[in-house]
Amino acid sequence: MTMNFPILSKRVLLVPALLLTAMTLSCRKDKTEIPTGLPIPPDPTGVSVDLTQVPYPKLSDYRFFEGDMKDQNPAEGVLPYEPITQLFTDYALKKRFVWMPNGTKANYVSDTEILDLPVGSAIIKTFYYDNMLPENATRILETRIMIRKSTGWIFAEYEWNDEQTEAYLNMDGVNKSISWVQNGTPMSTNYRLPSDTECMICHKFNASPIPIGIKPQHLNKSLQYADGEMNQLQKWVSVGYLNGPLPSNILTVVDYKDESKSLRDRVRSYLDMNCAHCHQENSHCDYRPMRLAFSETELSLNLGICVDPEEFIDASLVSIIVPGNTSKSMMHFRLGSTEESNRMPLLGRTVVHQEGLALLTAFIQSLTNCD
Amino acid sequence: MKKHLFLITPFLLWSQVSLAQSTCATAQIVTAGTYSFASVDGTEVPMPICAGGGAGATMGKWFKFNSPESVQVTVTTDFPDINGNIDNRVHIYNGTCGALNCVAGDDDSGTGLLCVVGFNAIANTDYYIAFDNRWNTNNPNNGFTFEVITSPMPPAPPVSFLTQNYPDITGTYKIAIADMNGDYLDDIVSVSGTSVNIMYQQTDGSFIQNTIATDQAQFEPSWSLAIGDFNKDGFNDLLYGGGSGVTFFYSNSTGTAYTQWYVTNYVFSQRSNFVDLNNDGHLDAFVCHDVAPNVFYMNDGNGNLTYNQGGIGDHPNGGNYGSIWIDYDNDGDQDLFISKCRGGQNTAKLNELHRNNGDGTFTNVSVLANMNHPNQTWSSAWNDFDNDGYMDAIVGASTFTDGGHLFMHNNGDGTFTDIAEGSAWDTYTGTAIEYVSYDFNNDGWADVFTNGRMFINNGDNTFTIQVIQPSVGAIGDLNNDGFLDIQNGNTIYFTQPNGNNWIKMNLKGIESNSNGIGARVEIHGAWGKQIRDVQSGVGFRHMGTLNPHFGIGQATEIDSVVVRWPSGNVDVVCNVTINTTLYIEEGSGVAPVADFTVSDNDLLPGQIAVFTDESTTTCPVSWAWSVQPAMGWAFVNGTNASSQNPEIQFNNIGIYNVGLVVANGNGQSTENPSEQINVTSGVGIEENMDELFKIYPNPASDELNITFGGNLEGAQISVVSTIGAEVLSFDLLPNTIKVGHLSNGTYFLVLVLPNGSRMTKLFVKQ
Repeated sequence: MTMNFPILSKRVLLVPALLLTAMTLSCRKDKTEIPTGLPIPPDPTGVSVDLTQVPYPKLSDYRFFEGDMKDQNPAEGVLPYEPITQLFTDYALKKRFVWMPNGTKANYVSDTEILDLPVGSAIIKTFYYDNMLPENATRILETRIMIRKSTGWIFAEYEWNDEQTEAYLNMDGVNKSISWVQNGTPMSTNYRLPSDTECMICHKFNASPIPIGIKPQHLNKSLQYADGEMNQLQKWVSVGYLNGPLPSNILTVVDYKDESKSLRDRVRSYLDMNCAHCHQENSHCDYRPMRLAFSETELSLNLGICVDPEEFIDASLVSIIVPGNTSKSMMHFRLGSTEESNRMPLLGRTVVHQEGLALLTAFIQSLTNCD
Repeated sequence: MKKHLFLITPFLLWSQVSLAQSTCATAQIVTAGTYSFASVDGTEVPMPICAGGGAGATMGKWFKFNSPESVQVTVTTDFPDINGNIDNRVHIYNGTCGALNCVAGDDDSGTGLLCVVGFNAIANTDYYIAFDNRWNTNNPNNGFTFEVITSPMPPAPPVSFLTQNYPDITGTYKIAIADMNGDYLDDIVSVSGTSVNIMYQQTDGSFIQNTIATDQAQFEPSWSLAIGDFNKDGFNDLLYGGGSGVTFFYSNSTGTAYTQWYVTNYVFSQRSNFVDLNNDGHLDAFVCHDVAPNVFYMNDGNGNLTYNQGGIGDHPNGGNYGSIWIDYDNDGDQDLFISKCRGGQNTAKLNELHRNNGDGTFTNVSVLANMNHPNQTWSSAWNDFDNDGYMDAIVGASTFTDGGHLFMHNNGDGTFTDIAEGSAWDTYTGTAIEYVSYDFNNDGWADVFTNGRMFINNGDNTFTIQVIQPSVGAIGDLNNDGFLDIQNGNTIYFTQPNGNNWIKMNLKGIESNSNGIGARVEIHGAWGKQIRDVQSGVGFRHMGTLNPHFGIGQATEIDSVVVRWPSGNVDVVCNVTINTTLYIEEGSGVAPVADFTVSDNDLLPGQIAVFTDESTTTCPVSWAWSVQPAMGWAFVNGTNASSQNPEIQFNNIGIYNVGLVVANGNGQSTENPSEQINVTSGVGIEENMDELFKIYPNPASDELNITFGGNLEGAQISVVSTIGAEVLSFDLLPNTIKVGHLSNGTYFLVLVLPNGSRMTKLFVKQ
């Protein structure tokens, strides 16, 4: 399946002429000139996120996509994005989009914290596989949406139908037996579409729901858009989705697959995206000693190197990471396990991410001491 | 946070000629001293595995130790300057080659990843010291130096184990012990996605293994397993607590096959329990939800379950890890304590205590009871640690980020106080997710097992920590010797008898659920009272025996065993033999039968009758004697209405009825008919007292008529109230007495003959 990135210029053409002039003159396209205190008019883009009605019963109700919905061609104003390092979800492929109501934009908070998106924003993430068996074809399983209401973020989970023509709201969670070909090897699993309760396990700060991936540290890279390549953060600023200017030097993760980067930074980036939503301050599992956010893992202790695990599994798993010894490293054991109560991450994964595990293996083997 | 230090030093190879150490049979004999070898190159791989790290070794190195005297042995490779960064592993066995049993084992207790192990060697017994190459199969230069150190045998520890390996224990989840074939002997239950595997305990201590194929479990018990007879057919059923749901396998009528039932509702299961939530005599099931309000499955009495969520621990973010059902307020119903855990600034981390209102509803009393701590706990161990009649709790921390271990003493008034300070729980630096309490050394004081440690209860609200080999496990009596054993994986750690006495019960509920889950069991004796609550699902993950168990130390007599069933029925058993298992069926407690004799039924005024209790009973009874009418007699010689053999002096002429009610915990009995005592003057005149004088009407309102049946010249008559006050008196015998002015109530007409004899008749004024 080919998924085209949208032509964002269409949005610019539709905004009022006065504003168009301003935007033409200024790269910053500052939309704050729109008078405040007045009701926000119906969005001119055609996208619909009525906060009194969401979550809608059908994915198509939002009009996020143009044409055949399964092609995931974003509508005007629906901006694709992609984190530098991505969460592993049983080898599912993903398309991500962000949308904000006309005249609103996000604020930068810090390199390591999620962008503060305006009320009415939606983040859209579609999960699909190429080479799904038996047809060996592309099939979309689910589209997850987070919507920012005035009271905070909500989850909306859409389950695609077999005809791939529509996705329906399902907040109760469901399992799907699937098979696909991964790098030439047939694989199968009982794929889990999460309930809202499960979404909340990872997507929370203290007791409040939040997105995870929209941090400057994850977005600070170039992306190929329909109208050319551009740094994502700059793109967001340029289309009026983000208040600029941004700091010139943003602490940025690396692509864990990028072998030109240091092993340690690749592991730190991988752990940040796959583990830190639970293993950082104010998160689901912050009572365990690891602190796996990218900004925290400069410190070996936070990575669990030479740190005793608090939960016993086997007497030989003596530290979270034992330098040079994967067999005795709890983190390696857990990333390599598919047993529900042993595996990590706790959910979102039923098969082993071999590439991630290989990276961790190489890292542990490279360590010679606790520092 | 603890930091594990690894010393990486250059590896120095000690080259020394290998002797015949290739197999168990060719093990080199060693005594105290230092030994080296170049390579773990023996063909026999040490089995079973006695240390952490699991399978994977391809070669071994065998040594044999035998001492003419019992000694304590340490085998150490902890010479980092010599052995460098070798990662070795050691197993210590007894038994014979081909049928070895683990005695001890170690992987990494030394510096870095070097192994050190200690064990007690009994005189003239072969012990095998076997190293393997689990961690360096590809390195031929994986030899090292070890030293065997012997020292005098220390005093016996409070708990010692005989370990035995059972390869027949199969399945993915080897985490449960319960009786599965209705003989009450604890069986080993291990489960895989498509089978229930049972090791049926035999009376001779052996096991018979059976694998029962099942449908593919919709959810596997990756988080917890609970067992109870929810379809009340006499055979236990299973609950699997999975990461995204719960499934049940219920027995057929012979306990030989299991049928699955489930609903697909999302449940991130943690601890699960069977408990009769609405006390209808049928087990329901409760499952902690990690990330949402708790769920429970109500049983309609026909074994049909209905899914419910909400009402018993409803924090929207969950945080529910370790549920345990106890009667903390001694009101006869099961209350719920939930160990809770959650990161961040989230109130889901606050522990919860829910009081059972007795009507199927619960009240959260966490704050009132001082049980709402945030100590990130996954389970708590409950028992009456000081034998004061109230259940106390060790609320064990899984980390120290939000507080430590709590030792919550039950004050008996609905509140708890943390008395960890000085108890050993305050200074203990280990953490774990499993905490369970049983009396492992049978000394009459409940201990706590967690994290490879036995917290031996000293009897004064302090504990002594003994390090033991198993880290966690399922608990039950797997050789029926009255000492509770630990099963971890394929190894059973048989707790060794130590001379202490014990008693176990096998419960059979009739009106209550058939397991007696929720029953309060008491044993009474010289120690006072010990209590247990029968529970399905304690600790975090495992399932343990449903047979109540008590140690009684050196005591040799148990006065009585009391079972307070969840139905409210009470059974008391006496004449109990120690060191046996007592079968108690609900309602089987025997009530007494009242009976007594009297020394003489015919007395003269002032004479004493001696009453002798001859009731039959198996348990101590209480006595309640009654005498009618209420006047004219008195207990004498230090006896009273509660005496077993009272003595009564009868002063007034008349007819008395003496009754006895005897009662024990199982019921009461009334002697029927009561004994009649006739007190006469002895001169013949009043032989027939009914004829001597009659009164009518009775009750009377205005006048009471009296007719006299004999020569009563010189007699006097008076009216006496029940408190003994004379309200009327007559020198001449009247035929009519006006009683209209008397207050309503009971009075006595007392006739006094010239010879001093007294006769009494009762009448009622109304």
